[in-house]
Amino acid sequence: MSESSARPTKPLRAAVVGSGAIAREHLSFLAGTSPIRPSSPVDGRLRLVGVCDLSPVTARYGADEYGADAAYTDLATMLDGAGPDVVHVLTPPATHSPIASACLRAGAHVLCEKPITTTSVELLELLDVAKEAGRHLMESQNYRFNRPVLALVDAIDRGELGTVREVEIRIALPVTDPDGRFADRNLPSPIHEMPAGVIHDVITHMVYLLLLLGRPVSFDRIAAAWSNHGDDPLFRWDDLDAVLIGRTAGGPLHARLRFDAEASPDTFSIRVRGTDGWAETDLFQPYVRVVRPRAGGQQLSPILNHLAGGWRLLQAGTRNVGSKIMQQTPYEGLHRMLDLTYDAIAADRPLPVSTDDMVETSRLIDRLLDEKVRL
Amino acid sequence: MSAVADNETGTTTAGSGGSAAAPRCLYVTGATGFVGSAVARVALARGHRVVAVTRPASRTIAIERAASDRLQPARVDLRSRDGLAESLAGVDAVIHLAAAKAGPFPTQFAGTVVATENLIGAMDEAGVRELIGVSTFSVYDYGNLAPGSVVDEGSPIDREPARRDEYAQTKLIQERLYHDFSGDERRRVIVRPGMIYGAGNLWHDLLGTGLGPAYLRIGSRAVLPMTYVENCAEAIVLAAEHLGRQASPVAGEIINIVDDDLPTQQAYADAVAARTDVPTSVTAPWPLVRAGAGALALANRRLLGGRAKFPGIAVPERLDARFKPLRYTNAKAKRLLGWSPRYGLSEAIERSIAAEAEPVGR
Repeated sequence: MSESSARPTKPLRAAVVGSGAIAREHLSFLAGTSPIRPSSPVDGRLRLVGVCDLSPVTARYGADEYGADAAYTDLATMLDGAGPDVVHVLTPPATHSPIASACLRAGAHVLCEKPITTTSVELLELLDVAKEAGRHLMESQNYRFNRPVLALVDAIDRGELGTVREVEIRIALPVTDPDGRFADRNLPSPIHEMPAGVIHDVITHMVYLLLLLGRPVSFDRIAAAWSNHGDDPLFRWDDLDAVLIGRTAGGPLHARLRFDAEASPDTFSIRVRGTDGWAETDLFQPYVRVVRPRAGGQQLSPILNHLAGGWRLLQAGTRNVGSKIMQQTPYEGLHRMLDLTYDAIAADRPLPVSTDDMVETSRLIDRLLDEKVRL
Repeated sequence: MSAVADNETGTTTAGSGGSAAAPRCLYVTGATGFVGSAVARVALARGHRVVAVTRPASRTIAIERAASDRLQPARVDLRSRDGLAESLAGVDAVIHLAAAKAGPFPTQFAGTVVATENLIGAMDEAGVRELIGVSTFSVYDYGNLAPGSVVDEGSPIDREPARRDEYAQTKLIQERLYHDFSGDERRRVIVRPGMIYGAGNLWHDLLGTGLGPAYLRIGSRAVLPMTYVENCAEAIVLAAEHLGRQASPVAGEIINIVDDDLPTQQAYADAVAARTDVPTSVTAPWPLVRAGAGALALANRRLLGGRAKFPGIAVPERLDARFKPLRYTNAKAKRLLGWSPRYGLSEAIERSIAAEAEPVGR
């Protein structure tokens, strides 16, 4: 995926609604401090015209810290006063639809954090609003654009793995940690109200990556075990083990989605197995390992794969230390996605996350939550 | 005590003592905390009514042992306006201690800044006009203070805290909210305590930093800007009493709180070590640590555009805030509040150790 260098003559006017944790990543891009590619005001592609939050001090801080033209505490006032071309909707998931609808109807394109809506039905309704308004609506599927994922996609596209037969995505995060934000009983996270509870915070990532890497035509059989191993009533579930079996254009496809609140350290591992080879990564401790037929033939390929894997691990380790010092986070893909998105909007090209990507993701999440597939 | 010369106020006195001029209803946020529970106890002892604010899921508050009909709990979360104004009904003044001291920036921003914003909004709604905003010594601009200079209420605060920790950043924003609490008969005083020590917090961050299983002490000669928790609590309650008086001289003021006879790092570490177990430690000279961090910062600016992030021990601004040798005064607190630290260092340490030995849930 190339990083375009289109230059609009007039900067796009960007605004942000909601100033939670993820807002810092969006705002750092909009403020031109992204390590991926500087934007406003460095190259004049965009201008941050407003930060909106119900809390005046939060809105003011966001605006001051990231150089926005103004802070707002009322969405309608911001839409009317700042006239944004693009609004980043970064509020709790249950509020996305009404806020995004208001932005679209006011003539702004909308980039919305995941999960974009609670269900696929709600997403289709929101897409209708976007269509009527003639504006773009895009969900942030940021990990699609992390370098290791781009490397896996490249390996698949180049046929290094043969035909993909299996995708496994595993996330381990201590969401039930008593000191963590999801276990806060004083002011419970809004994510607990979502259909998958706290797992809804990550399931969008798992599903869009499965669709990206597995490229299924359909899934005929799905079984999902949603568990609450910690028996904490605050959590609907704290564990997911799902198996999906379907077809691609080239044959059968098996997939496994696994979420675990107890395993450590934090993990976001992806493994893709094909008819010729396999590849894996971990987005929290990035590396890419590809095991495939090498030029040495059947006898030497294992040795060459070992050497190549070791060399890549060494490179990744060095790079990761540097990334840590230089404050690069697993959100590097988010910045790359925003970079591509702004260029696409400016050039009137298709956005990097398509409507089909969003709808298929949302529909598959609905199916995983369907009681008929529960184990 | 070797550091008396660095404190303008001379010897330790017998404490402020006495009873409150007029009983008040004080709303104490963070009342389950280290300082908040001490403030509530002092306020009750001085005859005030106390609304002890705790979060809905907090443990049973430690001050319940001092329970009286003048103690009333209020279970609210300051990060939300729900129930806040109602809980302030009948309150004379708010002593705001609650803050998030750990966690990532958004967590501390919500627990410190948004909480203060909500509290002030609810105070306006409930018609409560008096605020004792508790801040911190962390707000000062230590990077631009010359070694050996006196830190007082007129010392500059940090205007560019990006390289400081999240606590300093959020407390600075909180102070701006305190300053905005003015006009319309609103009165406020900002209290900035130094490092507050006491039971469970004797071996603290002004001595050094943990490095895995070891402890690295940084410097030994710097005077520690400390206040014992019971001394500090008394000063805060006195501030609330004075703020309630007509034409109060504390209204609109900033007051630093440190004890008398401030010890050096070495003297304090020795005093604690003589009475209780302390971590095994090695001591690095302050000039050496500071020079190393300065060199790293220079390399970062020159070679990496200043974008690299190092651990706090290697960041000059953070080191200066904790270990730079400076002097401190509590003259203003004594003058405006009539306060004197009730407990000297030795007695404070003894009381802390005795409190630590008490059964949990006392």
